[in-house]
Amino acid sequence: MTVFKAFLKVLNKSKAPIIMYTVFLIIFAAFNVEKNDNPAQFTDEKPSIYIVSREDATGINRNLVDYMKKKCKFVDLKGQSLEDALFYRDVSTILFLPEDFGKEIMEHKTPKVIIKSTQDVNASLTELILNKYIQTAYAYSRIAKTEEEVVEYMNATLSKETKVEVLSKLDTSHLNKATFYYNFLNYSLLAGLIYVICLIISSFKEEKIEKRTIVSSMEYKKFNRSLLLSNGLFALFLWAFYIILSMIMVGNIMFTTHGLFYILNAFIFSGCAVSIAFLIGNVIRNKNAINGIVNVIALGSCFLCGAFVPMEMLPKYVLNIAHILPSYWYIKTNEMIKTTEIFNIDSVTPMIINMGVVILFTIGFVIITNIITKRNRKKD
Amino acid sequence: MENVIEVKNLTKEYKSLKAIDELSFSVQKGEILGLLGPNGSGKSTTINCILSLLNFQKGSIQIFGKEMKPDAYDIKRSLGVVFQDVAVLEELTVYENIDYFCGLYIEEQETREKYIKEALKLVGLEEFQKFYPKQLSGGLLRRLNIACGVSHKPKLIFLDEPTVAVDPQSRNNILDGIKELRNQGATIVYTTHYMEEVELLCDRVIILDKGHILASGTCDELKLLAHIEEKITVEGIQLEENQMQKLEKLKNVEDMLYSNDTLVMTYQKGKNNLVDFIEYLKKEKIRYSKIYSERPTLNDVFLELTGKELRD
Repeated sequence: MTVFKAFLKVLNKSKAPIIMYTVFLIIFAAFNVEKNDNPAQFTDEKPSIYIVSREDATGINRNLVDYMKKKCKFVDLKGQSLEDALFYRDVSTILFLPEDFGKEIMEHKTPKVIIKSTQDVNASLTELILNKYIQTAYAYSRIAKTEEEVVEYMNATLSKETKVEVLSKLDTSHLNKATFYYNFLNYSLLAGLIYVICLIISSFKEEKIEKRTIVSSMEYKKFNRSLLLSNGLFALFLWAFYIILSMIMVGNIMFTTHGLFYILNAFIFSGCAVSIAFLIGNVIRNKNAINGIVNVIALGSCFLCGAFVPMEMLPKYVLNIAHILPSYWYIKTNEMIKTTEIFNIDSVTPMIINMGVVILFTIGFVIITNIITKRNRKKD
Repeated sequence: MENVIEVKNLTKEYKSLKAIDELSFSVQKGEILGLLGPNGSGKSTTINCILSLLNFQKGSIQIFGKEMKPDAYDIKRSLGVVFQDVAVLEELTVYENIDYFCGLYIEEQETREKYIKEALKLVGLEEFQKFYPKQLSGGLLRRLNIACGVSHKPKLIFLDEPTVAVDPQSRNNILDGIKELRNQGATIVYTTHYMEEVELLCDRVIILDKGHILASGTCDELKLLAHIEEKITVEGIQLEENQMQKLEKLKNVEDMLYSNDTLVMTYQKGKNNLVDFIEYLKKEKIRYSKIYSERPTLNDVFLELTGKELRD
């Protein structure tokens, strides 16, 4: 109780930077959750193109132009040079169709379509559409005798569309919000806990204070346990605070099975964050270094593990490195929760394994901290 | 007399440096033992070894008849330590600091409250109990440091240079407090390099240098080790060569040192040396501004034993 009471007093004395830091984190998280409204939703977007071909073109040549205009967004350059249009990204692709495009198809030759593009995703999509047309035209040129016949077949085939019915009942909009919030929570929990716990431990474990503790009649193990429990209680409070905040910010999804798993995952990660903070606090005793350490550890793991940038956009080698960080397993679980529709043994097992990995990290950090504190107790 | 501490053949080495070499001594119940020595003589290392804060290569340490170990919590319950550096929590007030450190020994709140009040009174910090350490002067901080170390009423107290860089008022307060602790029955091990404090407080003194015991005993016993009996200092005096030669030949003079218009005459024995010397100066019409006589100090003993001053 003595240690816990003193812990609360030190915490109370350090409340100004803690409040400031938490408010900053809330504002940042809130801003990002609002900004992240539906980022992964599908939107039908057509690549912008310009086609250079004969104005009086007929047959397959004419049909290709019409087809491309239907599938892509045709831009009228109004006298702007082609190079400028590409440079300023007014168009993503410019197609130069040869005069005898249709004739070459009928003769089973490869027509020389010159493509100038911005070489981005839109340009690739345009090339895919063009190739699809050419391959289909090739196929029909083998059974048709004239260009008109090919065009007829092509129109009949290419006009067919597949109906797609989305059967999923997942509330992707809210799940995306929740996932972003809980991924971002990786930063909030790590930064908040490391900052506060290190600040408190650096007070209690300052060399001269620690000497006084060691020579006292309180068992050093008991003292460490009390300090760890006090920190754990603080972490529990912070975790509960962020969970309530998520209920306000994300909404009803938090009261579903998805929400329950997000909460459980965050709870396990909070425990791990406490053990990390406790380890750092026992290694670094300089109060001035705490800010720098918070930035390196919290920001570093967030960038490496996909808390700020989606995991799928990170290079493979970065993700390989991230495996050694608990944040990776925490964020991976959040991503799994997002894409899980039905919670059963098959879908939950990988999540449980990930959470288990985080728990193993926690145990590892606690053991290392114990070894360090034991070594510090009696010096050579 | 019952021995509270028993140190036998204690040896502590830092790589090639022997900080403590085969040190053996004991501390009796109720006494104040002074560990006197210059910086680096091994005083703090000895205390840290006794408290199990440092590993040592050889020797044995017994406190209250039991072997002292890092997990000897039954022994630690009766120990109080005041380290050289002020060790208090900046975030807690004076009262809260004493409460916290006392709480590491005593769980019962009522007893603790009583002890805190007594500790505050002992060091004269009653008026400052709501102050934070940052608001205290250096002297008051030292007093708080002592209160944090002794508030739980230990039977054996280690005071490691508690008066370093302290103003005279706080020093007097601290020294009075230490006497009070002894009167309450505590045994005290007191390290310092201030010989005046040792002479004022300690029942027995151990003079340490380079990890060895040079001498031990009461202050009076130690002073006998110095071969001088009296030291007469004359300030603002101007002497010529022939006058100095005459002075050297005066009765009982052991040694003579003259520099910067200050003359120090050392007498081995004899009575009325000061009166005789003043009369001689008057007769020779030698002018001076100030003259005084001193008995040998522990510094003289240290000088005699090592050839250097305690504060070198």
